[in-house]
Amino acid sequence: MTVKEYLLELKKYSQYDFSEYSDNSIQRRLLKILEEHELDMNKLLEMTKNNPAFVENLVNEITVNTTEFYRDTDVWIEYALSFLDKIKIKKVINIWHAGSSSGQEVYSNLILLDAYGYLNKSNIIATDINQVVIDEAKKGEYRLSTNLRNIEQFQKDIDKSINGDHLLKTIDFKKYFSESVTNDRLEIKQFLKKVPLFIKHDLVKEKLPYEVKFDIIFCRNVLIYFNTSLQSRILKMFHDRLNNGGMLVLGSHEGVSGFVKTRFVKRGNFFAKNNIFHLKY
Amino acid sequence: MIGNSYRAIIIGGSAGSFSVVSKILSKVKPGFSIPIIICLHRLKHVRSGLVEGINLKSQIKVKEPFDKEKIMNGSAYIAPSNYHMFIEFDNTIALSTEAVYNHSRPSIDYTFSSAANVYRNKCIGILLTGANKDGANGMKDIHTMGGYTIIQDPVTCDIKTMPMAAMQLFTPDKVMNPDQISDFLNTLNND
Repeated sequence: MTVKEYLLELKKYSQYDFSEYSDNSIQRRLLKILEEHELDMNKLLEMTKNNPAFVENLVNEITVNTTEFYRDTDVWIEYALSFLDKIKIKKVINIWHAGSSSGQEVYSNLILLDAYGYLNKSNIIATDINQVVIDEAKKGEYRLSTNLRNIEQFQKDIDKSINGDHLLKTIDFKKYFSESVTNDRLEIKQFLKKVPLFIKHDLVKEKLPYEVKFDIIFCRNVLIYFNTSLQSRILKMFHDRLNNGGMLVLGSHEGVSGFVKTRFVKRGNFFAKNNIFHLKY
Repeated sequence: MIGNSYRAIIIGGSAGSFSVVSKILSKVKPGFSIPIIICLHRLKHVRSGLVEGINLKSQIKVKEPFDKEKIMNGSAYIAPSNYHMFIEFDNTIALSTEAVYNHSRPSIDYTFSSAANVYRNKCIGILLTGANKDGANGMKDIHTMGGYTIIQDPVTCDIKTMPMAAMQLFTPDKVMNPDQISDFLNTLNND
């Protein structure tokens, strides 16, 4: 049985559809799992059919769950300067973190929203296909050593790249989490943790269970694991879900290919919903 | 074994390799057409500057690819910071943010092993100076698949851990200093 054939079986026997994930990357990850668990394809299929807990674990291992605070600091600085600086008069801000993993980017964003005084007018939905990482995100507890380094790097880069006074330079990051060196733990404070709605959601298969339109959608380094036709479908859905003038934030080396290019205008690291063409699809 | 038309040249390196890569690219003939795919360990928070630095002297255009970008003749690609870079069977580049491997992202082993699978005996692997053993297994994969392997002469390395680790796994086709590497590349049948 090939990996492709297995994925069709998985789709049949579970709620998960990885059949349009990027061939080689899913193959690599699945073969690695087989090796680590000392399974062959037949055994894998048998466990997939009979053991739902195994399937959940498999999904956790197939999906890539790396995330960090303020990955690509320049993107976050640009987000502040070209978006947060300009929406003071907006009454409500709707934000979707799609594929939010264990939540570090969600909290990166929440810290900025609070610093700008926008927290009370922000609705934040954070979704991921993987229940394990959703639970981690809700918990908001991270390893102090690695995560604090990323936050400190962001502070350094703010000071380096912004001349003169700016709100970003005044942020007291320590206000948002507690630190325990002995337990190597950084814990997000409750007042931030309670703000976002973390829900398990499969971008590929499910409609988001809320009808709202978003001002900004973060979906960073998620689409790289999909094949191009699935990418296009998801990008169209994002386009549909954005308010006019809304922004999509992708990973810094993800490409937007094909006709989707005409639906978004690239501005720096951001893709703005293109209002020139109101095409139906 | 030399002269059959190679589809790609894969270069990996860590500590001290930036100047070596820069030197090699400054000495290849303008119009050198075989794609050059480079994976260097680099600081993850320094996203810009590296490719600009290499481009200052390079005879061919060096870029940090986007995910699913087609590999073109006459171009060089360098793994963007904080992403793994894989070569795919449709001759495109795939980027991934999966966990660090050998303490590295990008991991040279990942790039080299995927290239070995795709290009088999139609690629040349070049492993340069470095302070870590990442890259040794990937070079061995290129060797096993019949690709041509060149390791930077350890006496010319800032740190020889990486080339030595590879040489413990297999015997490379050539051990060369940086000048010899660029001279060698310029002799390749470049059609």
